Amino acid sequence: MTEAEAPETPTASGWRITPGSSYAVLTPAVGLVLPAEIDRSRVASLWQLADGGASFDELLDALLAEGLSTLSAFVVIGAPTDGEPWRVLVRGAAQSVTVHGAEGAHSVDASVATTWVEHTSADVRGVEVTLAGAGAGAGVGVGPVAIEAGLLRVDGLAIGETDEPDETPDTPVATAVPAFEEPEPAPEPELEDDDLGEPTQMWAASAPEPPPAPPTPEPPPAPAFPPPTEPPTEFPSDLDDETAAGGDGSEFAREPAGIPGQQQPPEVTRAVATLKFSGGERVDVDRVVLIGRAPEARRFTASEQPQLVTVKSPMQEISATHVEVRPGSGVDHGSAVVTDMGSTNGTVLIQPGLDPEELKPGIAVQLLPGAVINLGDGVTITVSRPGS
Amino acid sequence: MFVVADGMGGHDRGDVASRIVVEEFTALAQAGYDPHRGSAVVDEVLARCQARIAEYDQRQRDGGATSFSAGTTAVVALLVEDAGETKWLLANLGDSRIYRFAGEQLEQISVDHSLVQELIESGEITADEATRHPERHVITRALGGFGTADADYFVLPIVAEERLLLCTDGVTGMLADDYIAELLAGSEDPRDAADRVVTAAVRAGGDDNATAVVIDVVGLSATASFDSDEQRSSLEQKLGARP
Repeated sequence: MTEAEAPETPTASGWRITPGSSYAVLTPAVGLVLPAEIDRSRVASLWQLADGGASFDELLDALLAEGLSTLSAFVVIGAPTDGEPWRVLVRGAAQSVTVHGAEGAHSVDASVATTWVEHTSADVRGVEVTLAGAGAGAGVGVGPVAIEAGLLRVDGLAIGETDEPDETPDTPVATAVPAFEEPEPAPEPELEDDDLGEPTQMWAASAPEPPPAPPTPEPPPAPAFPPPTEPPTEFPSDLDDETAAGGDGSEFAREPAGIPGQQQPPEVTRAVATLKFSGGERVDVDRVVLIGRAPEARRFTASEQPQLVTVKSPMQEISATHVEVRPGSGVDHGSAVVTDMGSTNGTVLIQPGLDPEELKPGIAVQLLPGAVINLGDGVTITVSRPGS
Repeated sequence: MFVVADGMGGHDRGDVASRIVVEEFTALAQAGYDPHRGSAVVDEVLARCQARIAEYDQRQRDGGATSFSAGTTAVVALLVEDAGETKWLLANLGDSRIYRFAGEQLEQISVDHSLVQELIESGEITADEATRHPERHVITRALGGFGTADADYFVLPIVAEERLLLCTDGVTGMLADDYIAELLAGSEDPRDAADRVVTAAVRAGGDDNATAVVIDVVGLSATASFDSDEQRSSLEQKLGARP
């Protein structure tokens, strides 16, 4: 009955977004929608937390860390996991939020609340969010895109079953393929969020089938900027290391992320790579790893103690703290990066398919799976995907 | 386990705050700790100190001293296990310091949490100017009502013939690093060395409290020599700045 398009929405998993201008930070468990005017570095640091596996509560804490006065609106959706109920928080009137339950749809109105409105319930089949001003030509005709996780700009968002009871969830996704170069002028004026439209007509209007999922490889983390994002390509280049939460050294009291006065939330990071040493050791890169003959860890905070890996160097060619490998941030997010720590004899890096290059001291270089780091004295480190 | 805490003189009852630090670490030493937990061990003790100081502040404020706020620095050195080896875990919060003395060279390990340090790092003043700067005693992080109490941690391998020095700014504010190095080089016994450093600081006119702890590791046979200094100089040459 419905088209044989990829059934990518087994109820609670998978988001469906309509491209637009507000920010969405999405993981399989949590979705945040934030106004377009919000400071970009804030969105980036929330994305890093979320992609690192932060829970609903951790993300909420980070979102609220700077107080509510700088947040005119938001939506936070916590999808149910392990029997937890759905949690939906809505602030401001910048969006309309509809919660679909067993007995129909219910709209969440946060326009009168001074903080936010919370809807927590196990009896939720799906949630949808429409940003004010959406549908006025911006994303119309460029229909919902299914996505598991990512950092995107949206005008609309949905999860779970958001159609009225007697239709299956898959149907509304069958709209025009996101042709981002030129959004097609809407041939279908009835394209409301909870109106299914006529799927068959939509199918006819656009030839290629909708992408089953953003073209990211499955288990490794989605790239920081998955394709369905709208043009603002200045976004990636703005995110250099300085936007990581934690201060840039020019202010006096370095303020950690998280609620002031409390301990900084732990750095929740999945392994971005696994290092295989020529001596047989395997080390996952889920925090800073320092490698050398007698490595030292300098100036870290309690929650980010580096891992020190000692290698043997019979000919003394390897320096005490020779290289550092750490999860990348900003544009390198999701990969490991290697930095020569000023070693006496240098470090050679061979990226797959490329000529060997000598690392410049102090400059971090992104590591591709298959890269080999040569420290001298016969010690090499092969970089592979995490867990392999 | 070694700890030095410098109560802030310009603030209320810094001596109470520094005593709390010493008490809590003494309690840790007596109770024992899991050496595999690394910095988390110290972090917890510092959090307890912070809580006790906050309670103390609150009692004083309740008693009428409305803006009472006790503060203290802390530097800590203890042994931990990391990747099957025993290493030094060092922690700093404030402007007391941890140095490593090896091969006649004194190297500052900790980074001060002070206003002048921020100025040095942002390039506004030089380290030399900092020693004469009028606000050189202003601290940016400490235990007590100071905003963040996040210590910096360092892990160093243990090396025979290397000495650690923990001291307050009553020492480093009075004596040049070179002179301290001379004093350390000239004393075999670590307690001797500490005495000489403190005496010299006091004699140099310090009215600030001068405290120094010198730590030697005994019973280790020297293994292959270490080029950590060489490596740091090579980075300095390559980049034009120490990391």
